[in-house]
Amino acid sequence: MILLRLKSLNKTFNHFCALTDIDFSVGEGEIVGLVGPNGAGKTTLFNLISGRYKPSSGNILFKDIDITHLKPHAICRLGISRTFQSSRPFPGMSVLQNVMVGHVFGKRSSLHSRPENKQAAKELLDIVGIAHKADAPAGRLTLSEQRRLDLARALATRPKLLLLDEVAAGFSPVLVKQAVELINRVRKRGVTLLIIDHFLNLSLKVSDRLLALDHGEKIAEGPPHVVMRNPEVLRAYLGLRHESERD
Amino acid sequence: MENDKKTMNFLTAKNRLNKSKTHWIGLFLGFMLFFALPLLVQSNHYILQVFTHALLLAALALAWDLLGASGSISLGHAAFFGAGAYASALLGLDLGLSPWATIPLAGLIATGLGLIMGLICLRLRGAYFALATLAFVEIPWVITDNWDSLTRGSLGLVGISGLPSIRIHGFHVDFGSSIVVSYYLIFAYFMILLGLVAFVHQSNIGLALQAIREEEIAAEAVGIHVNGYRLLSLLMSAFFTGVCGACYAHLVRYIEPGLVYGLHFSAVPMIFAICGGRLTILGPAVAAMVLYPMDQFVFHPLLPAGHEFLYGAVLILAMLFMPNGFWGRLRNAS
Ligand SMILES: Nc1ncnc2c1ncn2[C@@H]1O[C@H](COP(=O)(O)OP(=O)(O)OP(=O)(O)O)[C@@H](O)[C@H]1O
Ligand SMILES: [Mg+2]
Repeated sequence: MILLRLKSLNKTFNHFCALTDIDFSVGEGEIVGLVGPNGAGKTTLFNLISGRYKPSSGNILFKDIDITHLKPHAICRLGISRTFQSSRPFPGMSVLQNVMVGHVFGKRSSLHSRPENKQAAKELLDIVGIAHKADAPAGRLTLSEQRRLDLARALATRPKLLLLDEVAAGFSPVLVKQAVELINRVRKRGVTLLIIDHFLNLSLKVSDRLLALDHGEKIAEGPPHVVMRNPEVLRAYLGLRHESERD
Repeated sequence: MENDKKTMNFLTAKNRLNKSKTHWIGLFLGFMLFFALPLLVQSNHYILQVFTHALLLAALALAWDLLGASGSISLGHAAFFGAGAYASALLGLDLGLSPWATIPLAGLIATGLGLIMGLICLRLRGAYFALATLAFVEIPWVITDNWDSLTRGSLGLVGISGLPSIRIHGFHVDFGSSIVVSYYLIFAYFMILLGLVAFVHQSNIGLALQAIREEEIAAEAVGIHVNGYRLLSLLMSAFFTGVCGACYAHLVRYIEPGLVYGLHFSAVPMIFAICGGRLTILGPAVAAMVLYPMDQFVFHPLLPAGHEFLYGAVLILAMLFMPNGFWGRLRNAS
């Protein structure tokens, strides 16, 4: 069954085309990796799906509901949740409170009592591995801890579809391994995932499918090993490497 | 033990009211002090008048900070204060209604004005929001100034009835009859508002406002209806500011547009909130209770013409050295 459907999605910023005619679908239970060089439009696509930006044209359907014009909070409550490329914790709240905010506001049906919410929030912190920091102010976490918090808070809204923006960027191999385990655990909870993974250190290990973008256009989609052999994808990535070697 | 500590930390972070023992004792002593004040000063008319105004300004600062909690700085609360003052006075003068009815009605009229301000200004953030609210005050001010047949225009209103009286089973208190009873009525309003503000802060509304203030983009992404909560905080703030204005009208019994819509009543609650600690519950009120009497008892006799410079000086000092306000600083230190 198709969970998310993007229909010829366009996004321009002052005549600059950040995304051009994106058609794509994500099936329920899938893990899809979203890859592409810097500036390809990956984060922009997340901003469109989560309602932060409105597309210039095209439609976004979630569970066959047209969410193109909904506000971010409404989209979250329908069951789409996200993390941010650079984490955005609520710095003055404790780590536990950050997650509780997700519980309290993420779903309309979440009128649980405080203690129940707290218990559930603690479990999520345990899952992402920062339970020992529950009472620390979120502003004091390390970057990798902030990413985990972002993830726990997103999970607290009980999403059907979770959008992860560069969760594992800059992670050491050990941390990447933990992230892979974490993602598999999340999937077992019945969550569909769309994972932005510029450095390809995560998505090749967990994804069922890849979607490759370059300059705002879809250049390939399919099973990871096929997409990674696609000449256009290679060119996009190698071209990038060329440039970065020069400067 | 470990668990207890966790719960404690959770509470301090969660409720801006620090729930430590000393805090409650301090709160109780403060309450007793103000409760006993008329006895302590032997009903000295002038002193009680100053503290009645201080309590009213403290309530005004609390009301202002209900919006402040959402991260928005308003420079236009005189709009609600003035509209509340005029609404209550006119409903009393023209329709003969009791202040018991006109004061809450004034709050509702101020809330209506808050709705209009919200629709116009809430799409803005930061300095742009502040400037828009500053300009917004002109709307009710110009209307009041020019709609002579309704408001008597710029001449102002005289003969406003005093604060109301109550009669329960033969027990009769006339709150307007002496400054002592007026003091207690304003004190009661202040305590009720303080309780409400504390309640809002520890409720889900408070949690949403804190999230919006600290990281708006994340707040909307986790399901918080950002503009809904910002509007709610503005409406609550407008209501209680309108009630403050209404109380002011019945306390002073004379108002004119320049007095109630002037910059004074926009700036003063902001100054108290920032000096006392915008992100604390009690800070704005404590600042009002300290600064206003200081202004009246110390600086007014010294500098009759320019005594209000105190507020400017304190505001600048607070922003330079205690950006979290002195109450916030005290709390962080303990
Ligand atoms: N709010 C915005 N205003 C103007 N241009 C934008 C905005 N957001 C993104 N862009 C532009 O759109 C293009 C795509 O950006 P996007 O952030 O989606 O890339 P990305 O694929 O996530 O890259 P990265 O790997 O660096 O995160 C970039 O050229 C960027 O400058
Ligand atoms: Mg990006």
